[in-house]
Amino acid sequence: MADDKVSPVEALSPASRAWGEIGERSGQPHWGMVVDQERCIGCWSCAVICKSENDVPLGMWWNRILTEGTALDQPEEVRGGALEMHWLPLACQHCENAPCVKVCPVQATYHRGDGLVMQDYDRCIGCRYCMIACPYGVRNFNWGEPVRPTPHETGMVGARPLGTVEKCTMCVQRLAEDQVPSCVWSCPTGARVFGDLNDPHGRLVTLIREREGYDLLEEAGTKPSVKYLPPRRRSPL
Amino acid sequence: MSAVAAPATPAAAPAAAGGRRALTAWIGLLLVLMGIGVAAFLYQFANGLQVTGMRNTVMWGQYILFFMFFVGLSAGGLIVASAGRLFGVKAFKPITRLAVLEATVAVILAATFILPDLGRPERILNIPLYFNPTSPMIWDITIVMVYMAMSALYVWLYARADLARRGSWLAFGTGTSERTMAREERVKSAMAWVALPAAIMLHSITAWIFGLQISRGFWYSSIMAPMFITSALVSGLGLVILLGLILRRLGRLQFADDLVAMLGGLLGAFLALEAFLILAEYLTALYPGAPEGEAAARMLSGAYLPLFLVEVVGGLLVPFLILSQRRLRRSPLWVGAAAAIGIVGIFVHRLNLVLNGLSFPNIELPPGLPVGLPQDGSSFAESHWYVPTAIEWAIVIGILSFGALLFTIASLYLPMQEPDAH
Repeated sequence: MADDKVSPVEALSPASRAWGEIGERSGQPHWGMVVDQERCIGCWSCAVICKSENDVPLGMWWNRILTEGTALDQPEEVRGGALEMHWLPLACQHCENAPCVKVCPVQATYHRGDGLVMQDYDRCIGCRYCMIACPYGVRNFNWGEPVRPTPHETGMVGARPLGTVEKCTMCVQRLAEDQVPSCVWSCPTGARVFGDLNDPHGRLVTLIREREGYDLLEEAGTKPSVKYLPPRRRSPL
Repeated sequence: MSAVAAPATPAAAPAAAGGRRALTAWIGLLLVLMGIGVAAFLYQFANGLQVTGMRNTVMWGQYILFFMFFVGLSAGGLIVASAGRLFGVKAFKPITRLAVLEATVAVILAATFILPDLGRPERILNIPLYFNPTSPMIWDITIVMVYMAMSALYVWLYARADLARRGSWLAFGTGTSERTMAREERVKSAMAWVALPAAIMLHSITAWIFGLQISRGFWYSSIMAPMFITSALVSGLGLVILLGLILRRLGRLQFADDLVAMLGGLLGAFLALEAFLILAEYLTALYPGAPEGEAAARMLSGAYLPLFLVEVVGGLLVPFLILSQRRLRRSPLWVGAAAAIGIVGIFVHRLNLVLNGLSFPNIELPPGLPVGLPQDGSSFAESHWYVPTAIEWAIVIGILSFGALLFTIASLYLPMQEPDAH
């Protein structure tokens, strides 16, 4: 199905196309992403466009926005009774030391060699050991046939078979056309930056250094390719 | 549990016409239950695992629970039998064949329980084709296969001399001369050297499927493998005691009450060992009062507290108190009751491991995990109370009936009584 679709990237205007281009990289790119928690406004645009780009069925999310606190979109009380509100956009971290890749009995989830962790839907036996191993809870299982809000397939990639595991692919279909993942170009506040972690002077490495970017659940030792930039602003609401 | 009740009727069969009728009814019942199980499995295969109570939030459930429970039943029985042989405990001899047969049937069931857990069971051959050597699941499948072959061979080794005496083709050319018999004893002893470490590895590797995952705080502990061994010893020996008492009552097996008392004492020691490891685990987890101990703390409050009490008070303390009384140890009824309670306790112990280990995500921030299927209201959940569905029960009961049938047939055709020690 996905093959006879017109590439949406080809249909873009030159300006839109330029907006989504990946840009500079080293000779041996290790793709990664930076998520700026200072810029994130918790609007879920990236989560929604991910669903439409990748035809993620109802009930599943490859990318979701957690609220740092105890209730969804509720400010958290910090020291002195001041209120703060931050979000934690969460999708596959594309770990270098990926627990899912280690435990998959049939090598259906694997390193692509450019920093991305991929899933082979035709090989997966559906044992869900990768979901057990993943500390981030970003993998989804196809418990039933995909249910969509419309009768049509909506995405730029094919539907996944029943009984297999799926997750964020960093929009590989877009990377092939030198375009950043959809969550990146669609972010209204520019909170996401995509690029090459191997490029020592690239935007990603610079941001991580200057803003003291951190790994989510660093103690798990997974070496994620997604880094978070902590919010600096400390102005109570 | 039907597997426990399994051998009740059939062994009486040769005795009388009434026994034969009961045997036919029993096998008929098992076949019907197996049929229902197969139908439920086909229904699940056609509709996907959405027909189970599992979701993205609790992605393993009843099938894995029964898998590890039966691995334990298998390993425990064989550890006791082969350790008895290795250390020259002649008193264990009458139950050796029973223990070996129980171990074989249990490991076959354990392997069967994996099938319905797979989302794509028809791709099972991908396991040998594309096996990943770093996956504990591959280690476990390997040891399960080796162990299954070994224990089946073990069953045959114990039976073949008797089969040869009966002139059965199942003896596969084994002779009955004095020299052959002496060789048989040496082969059995040599086999015990392989069986004991294999049984210990079987359960350790099963523990490592869980215990090596840093993503699951309740599991990630070096005590998992030792604790799986002790819980295997409790449940495996418990089942051997129960089956032995039933077969003795049916006249298929003879042994003295002394052996019951001895096995009861051993079971009491295993219960104490299990309790000791649980104490060590919980104390270590709870003492610092740090986030790492959250999962253990959860067991001691709210909805999990009753399950925890069933595990440690009902499942460990009560049978231990029974078995610590010399007078009660001499009563097969009390020992049998303690064994049955101990088995249930270990089952609940494993249930707690699965439920509490999985029901809470690592990053406990709202709105939680997407459950994986459309549902009323939010498609997210922060925690999940897993309840198996009727389909899951039908499949589990079908597999248990398959095991009961295997054991029934094997105990009818294979001589269960090991000749007395000379």
